[in-house]
Amino acid sequence: MRQIAIYGKGGIGKSTTTQNLTAALSTMGKRVLQIGCDPKADSTRMLVGGKRQPTVLDTLREVGTENVTLEEVVHTGFGGIKCVEAGGPEPGVGCAGRGVITAINLLEELGAYTGDLDFVFYDVLGDVVCGGFAMPMREGKAREIYIVASGEMMALYAANNICKGIVRFAKQSGVRLAGIIGNSRKVENEFELLTAFSERIGSHLVHFIPRDNIVQRAEINKKTVIEYAPDSTQAKEYLHLAKNVIENDNFVIPRPLEYEELEELMMEFGVLA
Amino acid sequence: MRSVTINPARMCQPIGAMYALFGVHAAVSLVHGSQGCAAYPMRMFNRHFRELVQVAVSSLGEDASVFGGKKNLTTAIKNVIARRHPELIGVITTCLSETIGDDIDGIIREGKYECKVVPIHTPSYVGSHVTGYDNALCSLVSHLSKEPDAVDERINIVPGMVNPGDIMEIKQMLDSMNVSYTILSDISETLNAPLMLPKPPFPEGGTSVDEIEDCANACGVISLCEHAGGSAAVFLKGKYGMAADTICPIGVENTDRFLAAVCDMTGGGIPNSLEKERGRLIDAMVDVHMKTYGKRAAIFADPDIALALAEFVTELGMDVVIISSSTASRKFLQKAKSVTDGGEILNGRDLYELHRAVKDREVDILFGNTKCKPIAKDEGVAFVRCGFPVYDRVGYHRYGIMGYHGGVYLTDMIMNAILEWEERE
Repeated sequence: MRQIAIYGKGGIGKSTTTQNLTAALSTMGKRVLQIGCDPKADSTRMLVGGKRQPTVLDTLREVGTENVTLEEVVHTGFGGIKCVEAGGPEPGVGCAGRGVITAINLLEELGAYTGDLDFVFYDVLGDVVCGGFAMPMREGKAREIYIVASGEMMALYAANNICKGIVRFAKQSGVRLAGIIGNSRKVENEFELLTAFSERIGSHLVHFIPRDNIVQRAEINKKTVIEYAPDSTQAKEYLHLAKNVIENDNFVIPRPLEYEELEELMMEFGVLA
Repeated sequence: MRSVTINPARMCQPIGAMYALFGVHAAVSLVHGSQGCAAYPMRMFNRHFRELVQVAVSSLGEDASVFGGKKNLTTAIKNVIARRHPELIGVITTCLSETIGDDIDGIIREGKYECKVVPIHTPSYVGSHVTGYDNALCSLVSHLSKEPDAVDERINIVPGMVNPGDIMEIKQMLDSMNVSYTILSDISETLNAPLMLPKPPFPEGGTSVDEIEDCANACGVISLCEHAGGSAAVFLKGKYGMAADTICPIGVENTDRFLAAVCDMTGGGIPNSLEKERGRLIDAMVDVHMKTYGKRAAIFADPDIALALAEFVTELGMDVVIISSSTASRKFLQKAKSVTDGGEILNGRDLYELHRAVKDREVDILFGNTKCKPIAKDEGVAFVRCGFPVYDRVGYHRYGIMGYHGGVYLTDMIMNAILEWEERE
């Protein structure tokens, strides 16, 4: 079982990319568990046809820790993918980070990580703002981290910060950076910049997903591209990404850049200035 | 500097906040946190005061930690009102509720309750029990006090984390001067209550909510412990222009200064009875000076008590070779330099460090709470119990060490400790 966490700046397309990736893996016969670690609980939306499913924390609140069962919180979606939403508090109250910790602990206790799974994916909210959101990289849970990034400064800045988090946990938990997934924003020289950034931090660009409106159309229809338009070129891109993930063996402790280095890199590829 | 603490010298903020609330008549401490945050302080109070204190808790669990504790808090407030009918509830926060960022002030403001509800912020990773007392007193005064309408010659006394006996000493001095006063807050009866049946729902005594509301009508405020209650005095001075001073009346000179400040504020004078008490203290000190003179003293206490004690034992002719404060503070550090002549200053360090210093400095006599007993035993030094908590002996909360009369008691305790120590040798 490979446990993988997907990180990246908020709004970069983590959930879209992750769902298309897991959908692609499922069509290749892989058994996948996807866990959304975001209080918004929309990480598996397109895999379950837009249904809002009860989250782990909602269920816990309603019936109590002792009475939660796996059946209540695990929902089978497209391609037999097991979908879980951790859930969390309303904006501005409580502690979403603690929620991630509670939900993952509960899933472990309930035995959600069955031996027949090929992949477990954690789709984690935006930046690693506190210890709770680093939970998937701690204590030997996810060993591989993929970072979704575009050619925009703030996306790379966030990616670089996430690398710092990985370095922090690398020794004790064995977590490694498995690569950067480019999600195009149609920025100039984007592919080159992402390739250079990936190499500079000691990793590689796993795949570069071009921008295509079909993604939005599929999303409106509450489906992944893989399900909505399986023969489209965009679906092939996600299948390509899935293949690269399966074959990937480039796992490293990244070398995060200093802020000045990051700026220089941006200048070099003509984005700034 | 070591990166670990061994035998911590301080307790957590909620303890200080409860200490302050126990001095308000018919008040309930409601801890907004997990249950241990109420259970541990209660045990401390039981052991020191030997009273059955009651503390409510909102019992935050795993789900409240994630979703926020609003529901727990509002339910807890309603339950406490329904069952106890208090006049005041102090909502004491904890590490957990502070860290998840529960908006206590907002939650309390939203609700309409039949009694006063005051939010008190006490995250324990900041400061210590002393800070908790200070925060609680400041919250009580700033939330409850009303604009002055008829200022009189009354003064406010903010005692800090002292014993019921100390407050009795202060009251007796003020009574003998015919000065009227409000103690903010007054544990002298609530934590030294008579055992009588039927048991009242709340212990008698304590400062009433009305008195706190009316405290801006006083002409002055004196905080006995600057670190524990000083903020309330600063608030009263800043908001109402009240005369404010801070003096810890332990020892001859400190008590002189305290009484002078009272006279300044109220225009009163020192009665003959107090002159006599002062004389009795001087007599007691002269009687024992041959034994106290030149003794090397180590003092561990809350910052203001430690400083005042150091001054008093200096009056007894001792050399203060170590002064150690439970709580780190810049003010303590500055003042400690002036009360010790080249002695070692431990500013908020742990008891392991105190032990090390006692070993190094050839100490004769150690002042501290029960937690210092092992140090005194191991190093074979005389030991005078003071501060909070003292639970390996009974009665320490009943007797005051403040004022001239308290000074006599303290002098006797010191002398007896030295005599016992000499007999042991």
